[in-house]
Amino acid sequence: MTDRTDPPNTPSAQGDDELLPCGRLLSRTWDDWEQQTDDPHLRSCPHCRQAVHGLDDLESVVRGLQQETDTTAAAYDTEPLTRRIMDVVRLELRPGRPLPLGEPAEDLWIMEAVAARALRAAAETVPGVRAGSCRLLDGGGDGGDDGTVEVRLDIHAPADAPLPELAARVREQVWEAADRELGMVIAAVDIRVTDLVPTSMADDQEGGSA
Amino acid sequence: MTAPYETPAHATLAAEVARVVESVSGVAFLRPGLTDRLRSVVSRPGVAPAGVRMTRPDGDGPWQVEIHVVVLRRARTVDVARGVRDTVERHLDTLAPARSAPQVTVKVTGLV
Repeated sequence: MTDRTDPPNTPSAQGDDELLPCGRLLSRTWDDWEQQTDDPHLRSCPHCRQAVHGLDDLESVVRGLQQETDTTAAAYDTEPLTRRIMDVVRLELRPGRPLPLGEPAEDLWIMEAVAARALRAAAETVPGVRAGSCRLLDGGGDGGDDGTVEVRLDIHAPADAPLPELAARVREQVWEAADRELGMVIAAVDIRVTDLVPTSMADDQEGGSA
Repeated sequence: MTAPYETPAHATLAAEVARVVESVSGVAFLRPGLTDRLRSVVSRPGVAPAGVRMTRPDGDGPWQVEIHVVVLRRARTVDVARGVRDTVERHLDTLAPARSAPQVTVKVTGLV
């Protein structure tokens, strides 16, 4: 995997708080916004409005994820929501390299870690399968780069499963996810069974995508 | 991905592009730039929203626009990326019809 990261962030060195160009502290602006303080400055100042816009975005995203996660259940478990938010953070820090989406000339890309996660999840829709390493290589043969991608996926398989059929089902799920969910052109899907798991353990396993 | 801009007008244009991108169906949000968000970049003038980078290498030539987005899982990723590209191209064409077509690159940095 290529380590490809954005330039380091360069936060201003003003301690934990920041003074906005209008003279207000960022913390006060955020606090006033959250308290819904009736303050004309907050409504009219472009610096304060921009400051709360980012916070508003983040809150909207979290609210959307909460709605999808059904937070109305009596025994609401915050773990899935937390995991999804942390997924976004993690992928931002370690995105991998960009891989082509759609046709080669379209200049559309998906980050390697994002695609690999989706394909591992697809593999794990086959009962008892746990996905491991998922490498995405340039397709097109020796040194070629035709905009296609080769998938090399390691899996743990149930010990009592016929492996050729199981591998074929996993391959089919991966192809389908790449095409229908992502829109990536896949040249090949190589499945490698790296371990056999007793059936009872395979039944208990949750998704292993990390 | 935050980018300093030479003029406030460029930063405003990037913010406008960010707004239209976020309106595209299937887009969850622009790459959030969470590190920046936690330590706000707002006090630095001329800084674009995370997720939008606009440059014009030839001075007065076409814009090169790079968009980083997080996409909703329920949508087909490539279709959303195409929607973002087309929307940005249309928007910039509306603002300056006489200019050369912008080169728009879309990178999907997350699925939620």
